[in-house]
Amino acid sequence: MHVDKDKELARRLAQIEAMGGPERTARQHEMGKWTARERIAYLLDPETFEEIGAHVQHRSTRFGMSTVDAPADGVVTGFGRIDGRLVYVFAQDFTVLGGSLGEMHAAKIQRVQDLALKAGVPIIGLNDSGGARIQEGVDALNGYGEIFKRNTWSSGVIPQITVIMGPSAGGAVYSPALTDVIIMVKHTAQMFITGPQVIQTVTGETVSAEALGGAEAHLRRSGVAHLVAADDGQALDLVRRLLSFLPQNWMEQPPVRPSDDPVGRVEMALSSVIPEDPNKPYNVLEVIARIVDGGDFFELQKGYADNLVVGLGRIGGRSVGLVANQPRVLAGTLDINASDKLARFVRFLDAFNIPVITLVDTPGYLPGTAQEYGGIIRHGAKVLYAYAEATVPKVTLILRKAYGGAYLAMCSRSLGADLVFAWPSAEIAVMGPEGAANIIFRREIESSDDPVQARSAKADEYRQLFANPYVAASRGYIDSVIDPAATRGHLAQALMVLYNKRDDRVRRRHGNMPV
Amino acid sequence: MPTVRRFRVTVNGKVYEVEAEELAQTEAKTVVHDAASQSNRAPEPAFAKPPSAGVSIEAPLPGSVLDVKVAVGQSVDAGQVLVILEAMKMENEIIAPDAGIVADVRVAKGHSVSAGDVLVVLQ
Repeated sequence: MHVDKDKELARRLAQIEAMGGPERTARQHEMGKWTARERIAYLLDPETFEEIGAHVQHRSTRFGMSTVDAPADGVVTGFGRIDGRLVYVFAQDFTVLGGSLGEMHAAKIQRVQDLALKAGVPIIGLNDSGGARIQEGVDALNGYGEIFKRNTWSSGVIPQITVIMGPSAGGAVYSPALTDVIIMVKHTAQMFITGPQVIQTVTGETVSAEALGGAEAHLRRSGVAHLVAADDGQALDLVRRLLSFLPQNWMEQPPVRPSDDPVGRVEMALSSVIPEDPNKPYNVLEVIARIVDGGDFFELQKGYADNLVVGLGRIGGRSVGLVANQPRVLAGTLDINASDKLARFVRFLDAFNIPVITLVDTPGYLPGTAQEYGGIIRHGAKVLYAYAEATVPKVTLILRKAYGGAYLAMCSRSLGADLVFAWPSAEIAVMGPEGAANIIFRREIESSDDPVQARSAKADEYRQLFANPYVAASRGYIDSVIDPAATRGHLAQALMVLYNKRDDRVRRRHGNMPV
Repeated sequence: MPTVRRFRVTVNGKVYEVEAEELAQTEAKTVVHDAASQSNRAPEPAFAKPPSAGVSIEAPLPGSVLDVKVAVGQSVDAGQVLVILEAMKMENEIIAPDAGIVADVRVAKGHSVSAGDVLVVLQ
């Protein structure tokens, strides 16, 4: 009798293990994709996966569904470990009914969402689904809604990471969009609200699925994707790397990764990274690489609004978020997309107790009708909101230009920076010298015999007086003007003294961030 | 059965009514009905000379051309500087996104450009 029962379990498990069967698995492999189980096995530490709800089945009877067997109902769910730390995971399997989401499939995802939220454990979603299971009608729709609700409730409580490893269309895109980070696999992943066929019918535009919603489109154009991977394995490696910077939940600190890179490391190269001519660009990534432990910087949204760089690194083994203007792109101006990128990143850091270091070199907000009509006022306001709202340690380093509204926006003392440093090359002023001279000395310039010469002379005069860090430092807006070569040591000290920072805001339901 | 659909198109404020006939893929070809409709085309060189299969490198922001680093016919590597555009008090390096051959240079030193103006076409 016992033997029979054991056999029955083994038979059932074997069926569930096989998911869509060898044929569909082979087809999945032909497309360059792994199955859900292969992905989970690769993602987690060996032998740590515990499956939940393997025996769950759909209960749909219409449209011939009563005879359709769908192992695990097309989604593998459970928990395991990454670098020894617990994570919940769900992985849709395209070999079972195209990974389509029905009532029970969705219920399995909701179950791990609930468990992850209650226990304060990160959740990782591996998406590979044809979308709603049409046969299940509104029950499938309800399934999505219940998932969205849990995504929202989990936001800022536990890290939620999504990997798009196949199609993700229609309502299916919104669960990923509500999570913290989206990773897409090149060529196999596509995300869109309405697909190429619908677009063709409605607007007449012809566009391929890849051009419309492929990884490159979402990394470079829409800003939906944070990271892009060449294949499944690389995408899952990115998940592991990303998690190494994050705490388990909002009440914990990120893990410490001891580094043999001395925090007081002096970098002479930083003294010459800024060109003599203030009109010449340079690559701010060179500055970042010399500041973080081992030059190891994990950049997010690289390729979208590259006039602003955001990413994670460590100093003295502790996670930090870095935000930096990139003078090499769009002169380092802040525009709509950069504002969006910045605000979302700073709020992500603030939610998960990661200090923010801001490197400033911006001439200001990008002028133009496209920006004004596009709503740079409300988008730019997000930058101010995100910085002023954040209670994590905030350290600002002004490298060069910090003018006007953009100076304020880039985590100025006025917005609540805890410590503000500046390099001797810093220019903190209400506007650039030429513009300022034109306004302040307009009469003198106009009435002079040689206005061009006069303008230039007055601009120089203004530059001498104000294009330096010392006026701002004399008012206490800058705490210290530092030797660029010693930057890493100063930032490490700053982070150390701020480690136990406590800061609160007035009680309220929630703020009303401009979106 | 070919379906004929009618459209109203506005070009530079002028309204044109056009008929478009949907053809099967195999019979698709460009048919110009009369010479008058041709002369009505905008004489703008940007329209007459579309960047045929080339990659148009556009000005990312308004500014003035400080230097053009390449000439027509020259081959360039990905990341090579094509044009230096002074804008926002910065000498912005406009670089080639991919390797290619310079098919056209649309600007010269001293030109003022608006955001979106084509600077260089690569093939």
